[in-house]
Amino acid sequence: MTLAASLRAIVGDTHVLERAAELLVYESDGLPGYHRTPSLAVFPANADEALAVVRTLASAGVPYVPRGAGTGLSGGALADGAVLLGLHRLKKIIAIDPERRVARVEPGVVNVSLTKAATKFGLHYAPDPSSQTACTLGGNLAENAGGPHCLKYGVTLNHVVAAKVALPDGTVVELNADDSGYDLLGAFVGSEGCFGTALELTVKLTPNPERVVTLLADFTSIDDAAQTVSAIIAAGILPAALEMMDRATVGAVEASIYAAGYPTDAAAVLLVEVDGAAAGLDEDVQGVDRICRAHGARDVRIATEPAARAKLWQGRKKAFGAMGRLAPHLVVQDAVVPRTKLPSLLAQISAIGAANGVQVCNVFHAGDGNLHPNIPYNANDRDEADRVHHAMVAIMQACIDAGGTITGEHGVGLDKLRYMDALFTADTLDGMCRLRDVFDPDRRANPGKVVPIRYCRERRPNTQMAEGGRRMADATGGQL
Amino acid sequence: MTLRPASVAELASVITDAAAARRGLRLIARGTWLDGGAPVSADAEPLYLDAFDGIIEYEPGDLTITVGAAMSVAELDAATAQHGQWCPLAPWGGDDGSVGATIATATAGPLAHALGLPRDLVLGVECVDGTGKTLRPGGKVVKNVAGFDLVRLMTGSWGSLAAITRVSLRLRARPAVDETWLVVTDAAADLCQRLRRSVTPPIACEVVTRGTLGANSPDGLLVRLAGNAAYVAAARDAVHGAGDAQRADASAWTPVRTAARPQATRAMLDPAVRALNDGVKHAFDPSGILNPGIMG
Ligand SMILES: Cc1cc2nc3c(=O)[nH]c(=O)nc-3n(C[C@H](O)[C@H](O)[C@H](O)COP(=O)(O)OP(=O)(O)OC[C@H]3O[C@@H](n4cnc5c(N)ncnc54)[C@H](O)[C@@H]3O)c2cc1C
Repeated sequence: MTLAASLRAIVGDTHVLERAAELLVYESDGLPGYHRTPSLAVFPANADEALAVVRTLASAGVPYVPRGAGTGLSGGALADGAVLLGLHRLKKIIAIDPERRVARVEPGVVNVSLTKAATKFGLHYAPDPSSQTACTLGGNLAENAGGPHCLKYGVTLNHVVAAKVALPDGTVVELNADDSGYDLLGAFVGSEGCFGTALELTVKLTPNPERVVTLLADFTSIDDAAQTVSAIIAAGILPAALEMMDRATVGAVEASIYAAGYPTDAAAVLLVEVDGAAAGLDEDVQGVDRICRAHGARDVRIATEPAARAKLWQGRKKAFGAMGRLAPHLVVQDAVVPRTKLPSLLAQISAIGAANGVQVCNVFHAGDGNLHPNIPYNANDRDEADRVHHAMVAIMQACIDAGGTITGEHGVGLDKLRYMDALFTADTLDGMCRLRDVFDPDRRANPGKVVPIRYCRERRPNTQMAEGGRRMADATGGQL
Repeated sequence: MTLRPASVAELASVITDAAAARRGLRLIARGTWLDGGAPVSADAEPLYLDAFDGIIEYEPGDLTITVGAAMSVAELDAATAQHGQWCPLAPWGGDDGSVGATIATATAGPLAHALGLPRDLVLGVECVDGTGKTLRPGGKVVKNVAGFDLVRLMTGSWGSLAAITRVSLRLRARPAVDETWLVVTDAAADLCQRLRRSVTPPIACEVVTRGTLGANSPDGLLVRLAGNAAYVAAARDAVHGAGDAQRADASAWTPVRTAARPQATRAMLDPAVRALNDGVKHAFDPSGILNPGIMG
C-alpha cells in the first residue's frame, strides 16, 4: 500500500489530499513571501485517527508538520515535501469544569470558541491573540501564543495544565503541570510542532472581571506615548492590556471599515484596559488618566459600556487586516525589548524605515515591550521586497542590541532561523537540539524549524532510534 | 581541595573534569537545604557556587532583574524593595536560601497561587550542564518564545541537568497597601477557597493551626490583602464578614513559611513519561554526575 492509501484507510478518501491544485492552499501560512509544498495533506477527524496517522508516518519514517489554522506568522506550519497533518477537524470541547475552572479540548478548537462556550459560567480563556477568531488552541500551545490581555493574565504557558501528546514515534504521553520529574509540559509549550502533536489540552479558565474600563489616550509625540507606558507600569498599576498604535496604523484603521474613531492626527494612541474587582478600579482608571495627561496626552477617552469599549478595541483587533489594505502583502514582525528601551527603539525603527524607503506601521503590546513593526509591501516587487528585508534585519538587530529578543509570541518557525545565532551561543542552540532529540530522535516532526540545523550535533541514529523504538514498544505494550 | 569556581569558565572546567572522571558533584549555593527533600549520593563531592552572587543587571523601569544564582532571596527582596518592587517568590522554607536554588527546585510559596509559580517568574538563566557546556536560554525580557524552552526545563530540575549561575526574573511593583489578617475559624480551608474565588481575592491565604504563630495562637486562616486602598478596604470587609479577624504583622508569614511541610509524595510517572525524563537526563548530564540521586 502506498502511504496515501494507508492514510486514506484511516481518515477516509476525502481527507487525504495529493493533487498539486488541492495542496496549493497549504503552501503558505500567515507569513507572506514563503511557499512550500507538502507531499500530501491528511486531516484526521479525531484523536484516534490522528494517532493512527502519526503511527503510520512513524513506521514509514516520513517527516510531517502539524498544522492548526495556518495563521502562524513565522512559517511554522509550512511543509516542504513533508506530510502536512491538519488538525482543524479535531474541534470538540470535551468538557468544561466550572468548579475547577478548567476545560478539556481538542487541539483544533478555535481560540474564541472556548471563551464563547465558557461565557455561561462567567469564565473565559484568557490568552487572546488578535487572530483569536481563527487560530486554534493547538497552534496557540505550539507557539506559546500571547495577546493583548497577556500583560496581566499571562501567556499560553501560564494557562495550560496538561497536554496529551503523540510523540513523533507514536508513543502517547500525558504531560501534566504538576508531574514530578522535569517540567516537560513547560518544555512542550512553544515547541512549534517539533516535539510531537498535541491531541488534547487541558487549560485554565479565568473568571470574567467584575468591571472593565477601556481608555484611549492620544499623543502628539510617539516618544511621549512610549514614556507613558513605562510610567504606568512603574506606578504599580497592572492594566489588563496596554497597547500602542502609531500614526500609520491609526491612519490605516480609520481609512478601513474598522474605523474606531481614533484621532488620525495623533502621533500615537495608547489603548489601556483596566479590569478586575469594582472596588479600587476607579483609582486605577484615574491613575492611568493622570499619568497619560502628565506625559502630554491631548485627550483621554474613557469607555465603560460594552459597546463603547468594543468600538475602541475594534480598530486594534482589526489593525492587521486594515494594514493589509495598504499593499498586497504585509510582514507582521514580532520582537521584544526591555520596556525602558521602547522610546529609543521606536525612534530607531522609524529611522530604519526611512533609510530603506519603507513604511513601518507599529501596533503592539507596549506594556510587555512586545513590538510589532509591520511593513505593507508588494512581495512581487523585487526591489521593494529587498528593502523590506533589509529593514527587518536592521530592526531585529536593534532589538537584540537593546537586550531584547527576536520573537515574543509568533515563534521562530522558518522566518527567524536567520536571527537565532545572533541571539544565542552555539552551545545554547546545541542544548535546544538535544532537548528536541529527546522528543524526536528521528528529527521527523516539523524538520528544519526553530534551530538552524548546523547547530545540531550529528545524531547517532542507531542508538537513538533504538531508544525511541523501545519507548514506543513500552507504551503500546509491544502492540505495534 | 574545595571546588569553588570563581567564574563560569572555571565552573565549566570543573564539571568537564568531573564528567571525564565520572565523579559525582553536589551543587551547593548557600547550603540551607542540602538534601533538598531527596538525598544526593553521599560520595558526591561538594561544588560551591557562592561566587555567583550579587546583582548583575537591574533597571527598575523594566521591572526585571538579573542576579547571580547564589544571591539569597532576602537580598533580592531588599534590593528590589529600594525601588518599590519585588519578585514574589517568597519560597517555602524562608528567605535564606538562594535564588538559584529556588528556581532549580521550583519552590513556590504562599504567593504562588495569586502571583505565579517560579516557572512563571523566571525569564532566563545561565547554566553549565553536565557536559560542561554553558547555556544561556531565555533572556531578560518579559515575553520570549525564541527557541526551545530550556528555561522551563532547568526550572525544577533540582540541579540534576546543570548548575545555574544566573537568573533573570520578572518583578512587580509593590502594592500600595499590604496587610495581613488572621481569621480565627475552624473552617479555614473552606474559607480559603471562598476568599480565593471572591471578587477581591487575597494574594495569599494559608491555614494555620494552634500555636503556629506563637504560643496559644488559635486555629485559623492567615490572609494577605494587597492592592490599592479601595481594593484592600473591600477585601478587608469580606474578611471581616467571614469571622473574627485580627490584624497580624507581616512577620506572621515567617513561621508559616518555615514550618515543616509534608513532603509532596512524588507520583509515579507513566513509563513513557519516565523514558522522556531519562532521555532529558541523558542529554544534559550523560555521565550522571550532577546531584546524583536527587531526582529519584
Ligand atoms: C491577523 C493575525 C493576528 C495575530 N495575532 C497574534 C497575537 O496577538 N498573538 C500571538 O501570539 N499570535 C498572533 N498571531 C499568530 C498566530 O495566530 C498564532 O501563532 C497562533 O497560535 C497560530 O495558531 P494556528 O492554529 O493558526 O497554528 P498554525 O499556524 O497552523 O501552526 C503554528 C505552529 O503550531 C504547530 N501546531 C499546530 N497545531 C499543533 C498541534 N496540535 N500540536 C503540535 N503542534 C501544532 C505547527 O506545526 C506550527 O509550527 C496572529 C496571526 C494573524 C494572522
